[in-house]
Amino acid sequence: MGKYDFSWRIIQEHLPDLIKGLIITLQISVAGMAFALLFGLFFAVLRFSQYRILNIISNAIVQVGRSLPLFVLLFWIYYGLSLKFKINFSDFQAGAIALGITGGAYMAEVFRGGIKAIDQGQSDAAFAIGLNRMQTSRLIVLPQAIRIILPQTVNIYVGLLKGATIVSVIGVSDMIYVAQYVSLETFRPFELYSFAGVVFIALTLSVASFAWLLERQLSGKSRRG
Amino acid sequence: MSKSFGELHVLKDINLSVAKGEVVCIIGPSGSGKSTLLRCINFISPPDSGEIIFDKVSWRYFRSKFNVLANYRYEKKLPALRAEIGMVFQHFNVFPHMTTLENVSLGLQKVRKLKKDKAKEVAAQSLEQVGLSDKLAAYPDQLSGGQKQRVAIARALALNPKVMLFDEVTSALDPELVSGILDEIRRLVREGMTMIIVTHEMKFAFQVAHRIVFMDQGKIVQVGTPEEIRNTQEPRAKAFLSSILE
Repeated sequence: MGKYDFSWRIIQEHLPDLIKGLIITLQISVAGMAFALLFGLFFAVLRFSQYRILNIISNAIVQVGRSLPLFVLLFWIYYGLSLKFKINFSDFQAGAIALGITGGAYMAEVFRGGIKAIDQGQSDAAFAIGLNRMQTSRLIVLPQAIRIILPQTVNIYVGLLKGATIVSVIGVSDMIYVAQYVSLETFRPFELYSFAGVVFIALTLSVASFAWLLERQLSGKSRRG
Repeated sequence: MSKSFGELHVLKDINLSVAKGEVVCIIGPSGSGKSTLLRCINFISPPDSGEIIFDKVSWRYFRSKFNVLANYRYEKKLPALRAEIGMVFQHFNVFPHMTTLENVSLGLQKVRKLKKDKAKEVAAQSLEQVGLSDKLAAYPDQLSGGQKQRVAIARALALNPKVMLFDEVTSALDPELVSGILDEIRRLVREGMTMIIVTHEMKFAFQVAHRIVFMDQGKIVQVGTPEEIRNTQEPRAKAFLSSILE
């Protein structure tokens, strides 16, 4: 075994910067998730539209969105749009949008699965009492679908949280960026990245347990009929 | 009126009129289109051709490939028809994420536009009539099949519909719960409700119906009073009845 003296003091010294980075990571992943939920719901609803052309378009966008590496997406949005169309997003905005598109493509499938899992009889009954399509989705189908959707949504959020580390390449000063930056000065990348790793484990675990609590809460209230 | 799913013609040249206050039972072998006919009446599965005349107003299925606005206008009109037609399903289709009271008051609030308190009051009355006063706060999974079906009946009746459609409402129930639901329908018969009932309960059908419709392979084979149908000479109806009444 090689000899390497860990110097965890580095972490302590740079803790304020690392925490600032962590907050940026959280902010960008939450913003990305918000976009992902919007995109996802929008494209899932299009998939259920009565117009075939909308089904096809939304399906295509979802497939492409899922296949594109986040890295490529990020470059297109941050540099590509700026160079070609003079659309300038800040690094944070570009990161959030890229995360939103990737996450949205996955969320669209999750929403679709959740909505499809609800028995057709539920919307039949809603129509039969005179609710319109919108009311049926909002009051009957979605509230029931959420229980099915929630666990997968958490998985996707965890994915985005980790994906959010890539935004450091366009200069968003997230936790990875700070770790990288500090290690250049201190030559202690091992400690710094390990710290980041542990923080991510802690984050993932807390998100998962929050979801577990929420799920229990929901299943207490909404039951199968 | 006709209806097909792709190549499969489920309903062919159906022509049936039901008078106010009349109770019509539809019988026939499985797959004969009884349920589909019922679902055409309130456009849950709209007929491809033909019309439904309800209260002197004609309703036709409309679908344009390109005119999105016209489709939207058509869709917007449908709830008005559906609110006047109560429907009860084989599998209850109560809303599992809502209490019994919420299940029934939902339509009153959203469709009849009653204030929340008033809606709850009317819903509670409707539930009282089906004997569920003590279950207002219960969720569907705390109820038996029979109780769920009562909630579904109350949900439809609360909107004060002009006609009720019953789609094999006892088929998914345990045998000991069937008679309770049939009693609810008998109560409605006494109150003079117009009803179209698809059922496999032959004894019940012959008791309550003013007219019986026998369907087979998507067509109405024979319509008549219970007496006429019982003594039918039509071969398919005769075969069906003798197989059932064995």
